Amino acid sequence: MRPVSGLTLLAAGAAILAGTGLVFGLILSPPDAFQGEYVRIMYAHVPSAATAYLAVGTVAVASLLYLWKRRPAYDRVAHSAAEIGVLFTGLALASGMIWGKPVWGTWWTWDARLVTTAMLFLIYIGYLLVRELAEDSERGARMAAVIGIVGALDIPVIHYSVSWFRTLHQPASIVRGDIQIAPPMLMALMINLSAFFILYAFLLVLRVRLARLEDARAAAALGETG
Amino acid sequence: MNGFQRAGAVARKDLLLEWRGRQTVTAMVVFALLVTLLLGFALGGDSVRASAILWIALGLAAMLGAGRPMLAEAEGETLEALLLYPGSREHLYWGKCAALGAMLLLLWAALLPLAGILFNLDLWDRLPALLGVGALGVAGLAALGTLFAALAVHVRGRELLMPLLLLPVSLPVVLAGVRLTEATLTREAPGLWLGLLAAFDVLFLLTAPLLFEVLMEDA
Repeated sequence: MRPVSGLTLLAAGAAILAGTGLVFGLILSPPDAFQGEYVRIMYAHVPSAATAYLAVGTVAVASLLYLWKRRPAYDRVAHSAAEIGVLFTGLALASGMIWGKPVWGTWWTWDARLVTTAMLFLIYIGYLLVRELAEDSERGARMAAVIGIVGALDIPVIHYSVSWFRTLHQPASIVRGDIQIAPPMLMALMINLSAFFILYAFLLVLRVRLARLEDARAAAALGETG
Repeated sequence: MNGFQRAGAVARKDLLLEWRGRQTVTAMVVFALLVTLLLGFALGGDSVRASAILWIALGLAAMLGAGRPMLAEAEGETLEALLLYPGSREHLYWGKCAALGAMLLLLWAALLPLAGILFNLDLWDRLPALLGVGALGVAGLAALGTLFAALAVHVRGRELLMPLLLLPVSLPVVLAGVRLTEATLTREAPGLWLGLLAAFDVLFLLTAPLLFEVLMEDA
């Protein structure tokens, strides 16, 4: 029963942090001088985007480990992280648009980070699709690992190419110690970031367990018929 | 036989097959022409749009044709025979990549005079630079196109995969190609784009052969 208790711990941590983050984000942090109350969207948007990039990193590392060691466990982690990554990329895109409408006056702009995130969304949808379309699951795992690695290598290049093409996104607010954000806001952002990261870990563990059970059931079914 | 000879033999075989049928190149040229005409007409034949239209046409044509040679091999069940030959699978990759690159470069060379006519560009004295820019972009497209072609062989609905993968992943090639072509046509400094495109090429020409071997393990 040990994995269950770890899972409960993660769920509880995510719930407590998300609740605290909600209090900080909606009540304790001040409205922004320029953006007013709209700045609160940041507390959901930035953590979604950060979690999406964390998931992409997980996919890349797990894919590399899978190709190296060929243990199905790594593939299950990569697959699960990719699914959660697509979810959070979608959330980041949606919350970004909702934030962009009042602040920039438009749902969408042809800006570097928006286009990079949209491309990331498409590449990882392709990743999930390859798995579904592959002739057998072992081959699908190998193909997906290849895309996971290519995608992760590509994202920095896409980012630079798109940002040099044309850009308008506000520069990242927290850059290497050079903090340009009011402390209560930073507090709210950090709490929400950790809430999202723990939620990510919780979802990942849950999804990997589901994948393991699915594999076990498939193996058992194969044993019965064969 | 060393690796170069082995890769050369594969490239020669691919190009010879293509030369005898000329299906892939014909389809790519016609499709690229179609895209150029459609976009030129829909957006207006302004010369400032020419480089963007050209690179979109090249990218879409690459997407259409990149998977074809390898699919033909898989359908003819000759891919297994090719894999049975001794030697590293990496040489197979280099040969196929070179053949695809040659085909795409031919396409680019055919598109340039066409663009000169359609968009009223004066490109004759800049032709070497434009071909150089095309070669840099084609290297990236061929590197990834060959890798994804190997991937598409063992997938249901093979035609679906190439558009979904090649276009988003090779977005930097298209963007850098557009800006470099513009810079060449207006005689401006290429800036960081040359470095970005070269970095993209090197990155995927180094990693794609390794990943190709993984895909070809038991093809």
